[in-house]
Amino acid sequence: MAARKRKRAAREAGESLPSPPGYSAIPIKFSEKQQASHYLYVREHRVREGTKSAWPQQRTLFVLNVPPYCTEECLSRLLSPCGSIQSVELQEKPDLAESPKEPTSKFFHPKPVPGFQVAHVVFRKPGAVSAALALRGPLLVSTESHPVKTGVQKWISEYADSVLDPEALRVEVDTFMEAYDKKIAEEEAKAKEEEGVPDEEGWVKVTRRGRRSVLPRTEAASLRVLEREKRKRARKELLNFYAWQHRESKMEHLAQLRRKFEEDKQRIELMRAQRKFRPY
Amino acid sequence: SRRAGAGPGVMGPAPPGAAGDPEVMEPTLEGTGEEGKKVSSKKRTLAGSPVEGLLQPVKLSRAELYKEPTNEELNRLRETESLFHSSLLRLQLEELLKEVRLSEKKKKRIDAFLREINQRILKVPSIPEIEVNKQTWLKLGSSPLQQCFTVKGRFRFLPPVQVMVVGSYLLGTCIRPDINVDVALTMPREILQDKDGLNQRYFRKRALYLAHLAHHLAQDPLFGSVRFSYSGGCHLKPSLLLRPQGKDEHLVTVRLHPCPPPDFFRPCRLLPTKNNVRSAWYRGQSPPGSSEPPTPHYNTWVLQDTALESHVQLLSAVLGLSPGLKDGVALLKVWLRQRELDKGLGGFSGFLISMLVTFLVSTRKIHTTMSGYQVLRSVLQFLATTDLTVNGISLCLSSDPSLPALADFHQAFPVVFLDSSGYLNLCADVTASTYHQVQHEARLSMALLDSKADDGFQLLLMTPKPMIRAFDHILHLRPLSRLQAACHRLKLWPELQDHGGDYVTAALGPLTTLLEQGLGSRLHLLAHSRPPVPEWDISQDPPKHRDTGALTLGLLLRPEGLTSVLEMGPEADQPEAADFRQFWGSRSELRRFQDGTIREAVVWEAASMAQKRLIPQQVVTHLLALHADIPDTCVHYVGGFLDALIQGLKETSSTGEEALAAAVRCYDDLSRLLWGLEGLPLTVSAVQGIHPVLRYTEVFPPTPVWPAYSFYQRLRERASLVPRPDKPCPAYVEPMTVVCHLEGSGQWPQDAEAVRRVRAAFQLRLAEILMQQHGLQCRTTATHTDVLKDGFVFRVRVAYQREPQILREMRSPEGMISLRDTPASLRLERDTKQLPLLTSALHGLQQQHPAFSGVARLAKRWVRAQLLGEGFSNESLDLVAAALFLQPEPFFPPSSPQVGFLRFLYLVSTFDWKNSPLIVNLNSELTVEEQVEIHSSFLAARAQLPVMVIITPQDRKSSLWTQDGPSAQILQQLMVLAAEALPILEKQLMDPWGPGDIRTVFRPPLDIYDVLIHLSPRHIPRHRQAVDSPAASFCRGLFSEPRPSLLMPVLGYDPPQFYLAQLREAFGDLALFFYDQHGGQVIGVLWKPTSFQPQPFKASSTKGRMVVSQGGELVMVPNVEAILEDFAILGEGLVQNVEARSERWAV
Repeated sequence: MAARKRKRAAREAGESLPSPPGYSAIPIKFSEKQQASHYLYVREHRVREGTKSAWPQQRTLFVLNVPPYCTEECLSRLLSPCGSIQSVELQEKPDLAESPKEPTSKFFHPKPVPGFQVAHVVFRKPGAVSAALALRGPLLVSTESHPVKTGVQKWISEYADSVLDPEALRVEVDTFMEAYDKKIAEEEAKAKEEEGVPDEEGWVKVTRRGRRSVLPRTEAASLRVLEREKRKRARKELLNFYAWQHRESKMEHLAQLRRKFEEDKQRIELMRAQRKFRPY
Repeated sequence: SRRAGAGPGVMGPAPPGAAGDPEVMEPTLEGTGEEGKKVSSKKRTLAGSPVEGLLQPVKLSRAELYKEPTNEELNRLRETESLFHSSLLRLQLEELLKEVRLSEKKKKRIDAFLREINQRILKVPSIPEIEVNKQTWLKLGSSPLQQCFTVKGRFRFLPPVQVMVVGSYLLGTCIRPDINVDVALTMPREILQDKDGLNQRYFRKRALYLAHLAHHLAQDPLFGSVRFSYSGGCHLKPSLLLRPQGKDEHLVTVRLHPCPPPDFFRPCRLLPTKNNVRSAWYRGQSPPGSSEPPTPHYNTWVLQDTALESHVQLLSAVLGLSPGLKDGVALLKVWLRQRELDKGLGGFSGFLISMLVTFLVSTRKIHTTMSGYQVLRSVLQFLATTDLTVNGISLCLSSDPSLPALADFHQAFPVVFLDSSGYLNLCADVTASTYHQVQHEARLSMALLDSKADDGFQLLLMTPKPMIRAFDHILHLRPLSRLQAACHRLKLWPELQDHGGDYVTAALGPLTTLLEQGLGSRLHLLAHSRPPVPEWDISQDPPKHRDTGALTLGLLLRPEGLTSVLEMGPEADQPEAADFRQFWGSRSELRRFQDGTIREAVVWEAASMAQKRLIPQQVVTHLLALHADIPDTCVHYVGGFLDALIQGLKETSSTGEEALAAAVRCYDDLSRLLWGLEGLPLTVSAVQGIHPVLRYTEVFPPTPVWPAYSFYQRLRERASLVPRPDKPCPAYVEPMTVVCHLEGSGQWPQDAEAVRRVRAAFQLRLAEILMQQHGLQCRTTATHTDVLKDGFVFRVRVAYQREPQILREMRSPEGMISLRDTPASLRLERDTKQLPLLTSALHGLQQQHPAFSGVARLAKRWVRAQLLGEGFSNESLDLVAAALFLQPEPFFPPSSPQVGFLRFLYLVSTFDWKNSPLIVNLNSELTVEEQVEIHSSFLAARAQLPVMVIITPQDRKSSLWTQDGPSAQILQQLMVLAAEALPILEKQLMDPWGPGDIRTVFRPPLDIYDVLIHLSPRHIPRHRQAVDSPAASFCRGLFSEPRPSLLMPVLGYDPPQFYLAQLREAFGDLALFFYDQHGGQVIGVLWKPTSFQPQPFKASSTKGRMVVSQGGELVMVPNVEAILEDFAILGEGLVQNVEARSERWAV
């Protein structure tokens, strides 16, 4: 413990912080009051030749280990001294693929509880990235001018936010359903148009809208058919007809008993090992 | 290794099962725990058996399965089929018998010891004749008799004429542990005089004989201890206990019983109608009316000594016929011992059971070719169907008219079973209650054997049934000296004379009869503890009757009788009315009933379920004070001590059943409203509750809320209240979830996202209509509508039946639609299908067994108090509690929360979760065959199943309610804690002088945690639910009186839960967090040892870690100091302080 404290003191004295190859470490604290700090591990966002990436190369800073109380706004405020920022995006895991950018509804996709996250910070100019890499910190998440709510304060404000406006919800549902109905209507119209029309190779698609109902194309339906076939076959079979069948069924019975006996022996063995036969 | 400084906590040192301390951890299941895989080699060698104590499916090759059977094999198979229930049972019984039988090696050592004793006894010097008086003892050492009446006579010591081993050792039916060898010493005729049978003179001489023997044998270095005891518990008949010296001390106890020479006593003088203790001698006065009262028990004790030899001859002749009989007797002895029936004066001893087997052989109910199992079964069958208190039996075949009639014996004794002489009642000391208890146990066991349950063996012979766990309520009568006064009040002088002054035994019968009559329809069975047989050093005085502690009675209650507060008597003008008044004393009063009759009646004060359960206490204390002069300070009634833990804040008279019922009634009203709603596009087809309140298992039932607006911030336009930062946290209101099914329709969209939107539209519409038509305050989100009704808040969720189906649909590239379970579909199916079924099944169970609610809530309370609540789903604990009612074997379904909770602890600590599923047969839907099938498919699929598997008729494969936990470590921790709590609690409850602090076992051990986060009570809304409830807490913004409420109260606002969610999300892979949701003030944190191993850098696992250089290498370790500060930051306002307790994380 004491050794750790000394080490930390040495680090704070301005020695270069240990960081993994390719990354540089920036200490980050919640506020002035805290003694110890977490470390952001940052590097320039790079991908291998030919891989597609959602974030522009050279202008993007990749940040690891963002503490849970640090929001996107926070991060953008902390890094803005390095250069003006275009966007900040927090993710749960490092993921090269583009995150789902669809507009998420606050009614249907509530925000998850944040943990430690990773961030992609896109600057407007490439030079800002190297400036960020050289940051010495420690960065302060919550300052007097920009306090960050945690604990009871945060929960109360979250509770207030969770009391929703039903009217807004109604409007959102209505717009969605309108679009959905339109999409379905279009699809139906298209399907109707194609009904009975052979494609270029001459095949006609059979759909459930036809005059004669056909078997639905589901797994359950095909399993049902197979089952019916099997039963039909079993009905035709003769059992206990030939002498060898008798013999075999007797042998089968014996084998069953033997299997059971082996199982029981194993159980007894186990119980003996657990001293289960000591009655008291 | 164990950490230093982990001293015993409240419950002793409990191992940190959660974080994987390998030394104390049981081997975990493969693929179920993250950390459990490291099993220390020490443990492995200890277990030593099949892979980690886990059953594997048997694999036999084809050749082995189908080879030609040998004759021997066929014989064994046939024998198993005809003589035993199953091959498993046969193997189990064989193993058990091996375990309890005496080994040949030990037998040899015992035989040698017996030979030595024989020689020593014959060498004890004689003494010349002396007068029997008080001074005699001084010459012989100390007296093994309690009371010394003046007895005139002459005594001398001569070595016995015969030393003979009698009893089970000779017959080969004695069982381990406590091997006793009974040795009969025939006293020479010269010692005895005429009329020795009169006025205890024979017993006096017998005691003197032993005292002299003891005095001499005690000086012999052969014996490790020489002590006195009573033969068969009878205080007039001491016996001498001899144990070998050295390491064999616990091997064997030899009991010496002096007995008279054969034919010394004439049996006709010892008939049950004869008197052999004269009143003039015993009481110093002649009885009024000159007829001496008979002394049947005294006579029997004399007769017992004369018959020792003939009994052993009879037994060895019969039991020697076949090994099956001996096996049967040994099994029956184990059976009796597990039920604590064989010990003490008047116990149903092994000797009695051997005699009973002999009787059944003589009547051809048992055949000599029978196996031990069949003997066991036949005897149980006989006991279950034969009431020896009414129809006595006799081994005597002679039809000599001079023999006494059975009716004479019935007059004198409650239970009658005569030996082959026809003079001696073997069951003389057995009370009617004891015999009824034996019968009750036999009936339960027969039912179990007939049900063909797979684990019958375990339940029948291996499960102990101590009184506290077998009976619903227990009561202790103490001090015992009070019974002396009771005897006088009950006018039991003849009985005292008969029993030689043993007032405990004399009072036992009349007291149990009195209570049985008084408890009437509330009682199923009344049992009493038998006074234990004391043992004392030969230099000490014998213990007195009052020194045996307390007399304990056990009540098995009848739930249907408990609901009534009225004891209806006869009509006032009937002659029986006087008896009724006499019986109930001042409690009896005249009442006019609705049908116009005027009757005598007794009314008990009890408003709530909890108080009604304790009416037996009122009955018992009233009757004992009235008829037996035992004041209520001498009656320690143990029935409701645990109720305090499930009582609400201001409730002291109820354990919450009424509050739950009120909530359920409100829910019924709401569902009626929902059914009748007009204006919804689809009508409501069903309303089903899924919240624990609606199955009576919520630990603290909800109370109606009437918020004080000034305490809150108001959101007027949303008609809601919001907590204020400057006030303490408001009261916790948990909405009760209700699923609302709509009638079927083809209009629903077939796309998951669209279904969610339509459902949201329904929720909005529902709120609108409820508000318009019924004026109920509502609040809507996309998934539910909260409805405020009469102070209760319900969370109504609209469900669409086909939605799980839609979530499951997957389209393959060929366009084939297949159904695959997804987490979302499973969750939805669970909440809208299985949970309503479970809730209604448990609701039904509560109607059948009114104690279910109390048991389930106590159990849940305890698990949560141990900070393990979050590891177990609500439903899984409810189901374990339900199992206690649905498969109570070998017990009777509990009728009080206390006994149910004890059995919960027993079940949890002893159930073999690894190798068997807990089958909870709700509504008895599963047949025996189906259960067997479930067992075998369980074994095949063990690796894929959760650690704890609970099967219900609705959920036969997957164990739905334990899918998300507990982990192997948490379950192990629970088992350890339960195993520690059970004996502590049982000891407290069995202590006749009060339970002490009943909350002891509810306090969790805190010394196992690495970090403790102390929370501020100001922001714990359920602060007052804590186990040690604080005397005062903060104002929570509620009125106690009903007020019209237009604004929705704050719902589900529980800061500790929000805090825990954040902690788990941020640090879940570094640590485990433990908390008691019912007012816990501390969060226990355990670091996960595996995450504290330095790891190479990986971009995906940097969470909360930092890079340090270690030996020139860059590795990642958790940034503990920063994390400890994070604990405080994330819980700003809630956290009081963070206490780091161990240095384990210092890498």
